[in-house]
Amino acid sequence: MSGARAGSARTEHGPGVLVAALSSAFGVALIQGTGLLDAAAKADPVTGASDTVGALLRVTSVVFIGVAMYSGAVVTTNTFSVIVAGRVRQIALRRLLGSTARAERGAVAREGLLVGLIGAVIGLVLGSGGVAAIAAVARAAGVLADFPYSYANPTALLPAAAVVLTTWLAAVVGSRRVLTVTPMQALGGAEERSEEEGRASRLRSGAAVALLSFGALLLFGGVAIGAVDPLGLLVAFSGGIVSFTGVVLGAHLVIPRALRIVGRLMGGSATARLAAENAVRYPQRSTRSTVGLLVSVTLITTFAVALRTFGDMITIASGDDPVYYAGVDTMLTTVTVVFSVLIGFSAVIAGVGLVNALSLGVLQRTRELGLLRALGFSARQLRRMVLAESGQLVLTAVALGLLLGTVYGWAGAHSLIGAVRGAPALWFVGLPWPVLAVVVAGGVLLTLVASVAPARRATRIAPVEALGVE
Amino acid sequence: MTTALPAQPRTASEHLEAVARVQGVAKRYGSGDATVHALRGVDLAVRRGEFVAIMGPSGSGKSTLMHLLAGLDSPTSGEVWLGDREIGALDDTALTLLRRERIGFVFQAFNLVPTLDVIGNVMLPFELRGAKPSREERTFIGRLLGELGLADRLGHRPRELSGGQQQRVAIARALASRPQLVVADEPTGNLDSRTGREVLSLLASAAAGHGQAIAMVTHDPIAASYADRVVFLADGRVVAEEGRMDAERIARFMLTLEDAR
Ligand SMILES: Nc1ncnc2c1ncn2[C@@H]1O[C@H](COP(=O)(O)OP(=O)(O)OP(=O)(O)O)[C@@H](O)[C@H]1O
Ligand SMILES: [Mg+2]
Repeated sequence: MSGARAGSARTEHGPGVLVAALSSAFGVALIQGTGLLDAAAKADPVTGASDTVGALLRVTSVVFIGVAMYSGAVVTTNTFSVIVAGRVRQIALRRLLGSTARAERGAVAREGLLVGLIGAVIGLVLGSGGVAAIAAVARAAGVLADFPYSYANPTALLPAAAVVLTTWLAAVVGSRRVLTVTPMQALGGAEERSEEEGRASRLRSGAAVALLSFGALLLFGGVAIGAVDPLGLLVAFSGGIVSFTGVVLGAHLVIPRALRIVGRLMGGSATARLAAENAVRYPQRSTRSTVGLLVSVTLITTFAVALRTFGDMITIASGDDPVYYAGVDTMLTTVTVVFSVLIGFSAVIAGVGLVNALSLGVLQRTRELGLLRALGFSARQLRRMVLAESGQLVLTAVALGLLLGTVYGWAGAHSLIGAVRGAPALWFVGLPWPVLAVVVAGGVLLTLVASVAPARRATRIAPVEALGVE
Repeated sequence: MTTALPAQPRTASEHLEAVARVQGVAKRYGSGDATVHALRGVDLAVRRGEFVAIMGPSGSGKSTLMHLLAGLDSPTSGEVWLGDREIGALDDTALTLLRRERIGFVFQAFNLVPTLDVIGNVMLPFELRGAKPSREERTFIGRLLGELGLADRLGHRPRELSGGQQQRVAIARALASRPQLVVADEPTGNLDSRTGREVLSLLASAAAGHGQAIAMVTHDPIAASYADRVVFLADGRVVAEEGRMDAERIARFMLTLEDAR
């Protein structure tokens, strides 16, 4: 019994620990890495005098860590809400026997704290160790000078602590539903009820719409100003931040609609329709499993498009000077690659969340999948159904992200150098095809990877499993 | 138990006519001391156009037998034939296709796909086959839904329906594509007596009118009296089998079975 318990705790909380460990490792590694580079710069007599490099490094790494943590927190919230959804009966039974809702929720929150702690410590070790290992290799290769640097860096504890906090918060938010579980649900019929999660407040939706509209206004205003003055970038930049905050805050409005549209594109076969229905069955769950991916893809695309458009515009304005072009190009490419890799890490965390949401979804639908098998769904059709569902989620996030990112990137470039003499027309966009291709390929890969485990689990379900009366 | 007849098909032609047939099937769950003998060697054939009722005390193996008959589960020993195919020899895909083409189900509980509305659930067998229902089939389904009192519920999801309504949707689905074999586990369990009788007439006419084979588990002697043949199970064995019986005799026989335990 206790063995089975431990096993189920591992499948339930494994992904939570993984996400916490990844976020923590990423944060710790960035802090240690920038600390190391900072120390290297200080040790260097040329750059040592100024602290600009260090300050710049710290600011950028805070942004990257923030995005990764956000991605991780959303994913973990989802994980906990899915876990709670699967436990409704059990919780209801304990409520029936006299346990209070608060005690039940407290128990889930404590699990969150534990998950966060374990993940944070693993991340601390992996992040510091990883940087130390890379530094050792770099020193051995003679790339990095020998200077003293202590990995017992107290700031490295910050991301780890933040992970503990966000994971705990995620568990608290994700377990909101515990409060709505009534003792009656222990007596409910065998048919699964829909996951009635708290409706997003009207305030939240209103704020999202307001931010989005105001942000869009600033964004396009910034582009207009940019046509006469580079200060437009500041306006457009704030517009971008404000409007994207609106998108993320209002993701529960945007993503389910986008999922419906994409679902309709998947075709009319029984497999595709069931997959499409399932992706919008729990809108909140689907939103949370895709929003992290949406954020990552948007950011990567924004930067890549902005830099490419910027580069192309400069080149055109400078009269296609090949030497000049080559210089700009290498610099922009390096920045794009570094940035994409760092944000890509958040995309990985989002991917873990997606895999997890799909797997748990299949696990919780055992009966229904058994029924489909009984009615004549072949193993292949089931596999295709899971693949379609995974594809629908990924495609929605990637398509939205590419779209938003292109608009933001375009706005960024034009608001900065729209006023430069010889700059191309307002609708000029430089598309960084290699980056876009990598994003799309990553999406395809994620779709496939995310569907492997759940599809295997789904096809192992025997038709009779639908028939057990509990 | 003088009325009991052997369950084996007696002639070759009956063999050929059997839509589904089990021969010497046993089903055990667990092992060692904890072994449960759900079925201990059962022979049963359901023929074209025949409406068979399966009765027996709770735990006697009725549901298990239905699952085997419908190719949903495999026996520990013995053979299960669907038409001319022995299912032990089929791989998963072949068996799935066979089920899809030939069998309709009504289970004891949880029959419907929660994300599909009533009409979506009823049409699912057609969609799985990739076949569009003909005009004639559509009229038939429309009439079926009307007779089952579901005509104004077509756009509803299962969770918006009562237990009995859900069960009627499952019955409509099982009959919609006129499969050769319909397996129904207590299809009238959640229904009031009037609706129950309508469902039974539908099943009887599916057998008599369309030549479908119907195997129905029931605890209700009145329901069993609609059948052409009643098979009694007790403790994993067929203990009696008889042609059409009236409800009163069935009830009396059930009592003797339960007392014998
Ligand atoms: N998956 C299983 N694992 C273990 N034992 C099982 C399983 N399924 C059925 N049994 C056992 O097999 C026996 C027959 O079960 P079955 O469900 O066929 O009975 P039944 O005649 O349909 O009963 P009821 O009228 O209550 O539905 C029972 O003793 C049951 O406990
Ligand atoms: Mg039963």
